[in-house]
Amino acid sequence: MQSKPINTKQSREELFTTLYQKAFPIVAKYVAKMGGSFDQAKDIFQDALVIYYEKVLSNSVTLQSSDKAYILGIAKHLWLKTYRDNAGNIPLDVANVDQPQEEQHQYASNKLMHYLETTGQKCMEVLKAFYYDKLPLTQITQLFGYSGTHSATVQKYKCLEKVRDTVKQKSLHYEDFLE
Amino acid sequence: MRTSLNEIKAIEDHLFNRNHPADSLLFQANLILNIPLRDKVALQNSTYQIVEQYGRKQLKAEIEAVHQKLLNKPNSFMQRLISLFKK
Repeated sequence: MQSKPINTKQSREELFTTLYQKAFPIVAKYVAKMGGSFDQAKDIFQDALVIYYEKVLSNSVTLQSSDKAYILGIAKHLWLKTYRDNAGNIPLDVANVDQPQEEQHQYASNKLMHYLETTGQKCMEVLKAFYYDKLPLTQITQLFGYSGTHSATVQKYKCLEKVRDTVKQKSLHYEDFLE
Repeated sequence: MRTSLNEIKAIEDHLFNRNHPADSLLFQANLILNIPLRDKVALQNSTYQIVEQYGRKQLKAEIEAVHQKLLNKPNSFMQRLISLFKK
């Protein structure tokens, strides 16, 4: 039974180490039985951990002794979705028409992410703490050294504004670039 | 807070369904009339998605670090698992 918070880097490392030891062997055995590779087992398992983490933070699942079974369930679903429903089953017209547009979108999205990671990392970390890790306001105030919770909230909105402006500017720029 | 930050808060409350019904109606009416506001709502929605992508990317890097740590431990269970795949 796990009851402590999992949304700090240190607690996540402990959690993922425990889950690796508890659940990765059964996922790996399942993937091996299905004819997959070690790297495929690793990819599936890591994606399952991401889904598990997000589910726990959104309170749609509680951490308990059955987490091993829960992760195996997600992993099996991901395996079947990714490797059974492979590209060969996609109708040719859909695959051909949508792919270039999707690739372009992915390219622009990667460029934007790279830009935000290099020039706006502090803001991205603040926003991640609020919206992805869902840390309590008091913890965020402490973590980033703000003078109080009001100051942390104002900073959140300032960062949202900054990133939103960047998204706007860069989206226009990359659209021009792609056209 | 300055006006533009209050607007960002209002958009967030709208997107996360935190508004009271009366405020929600007012905001929706505003959306119909105010095209720049509509653009800002769409952009702010994209911003939350980008923050989610960023969060996932960082989380995956943390998970990969755990994977490598366990993999590089001598005689770890990971080494035994790799042998499952060798045929």
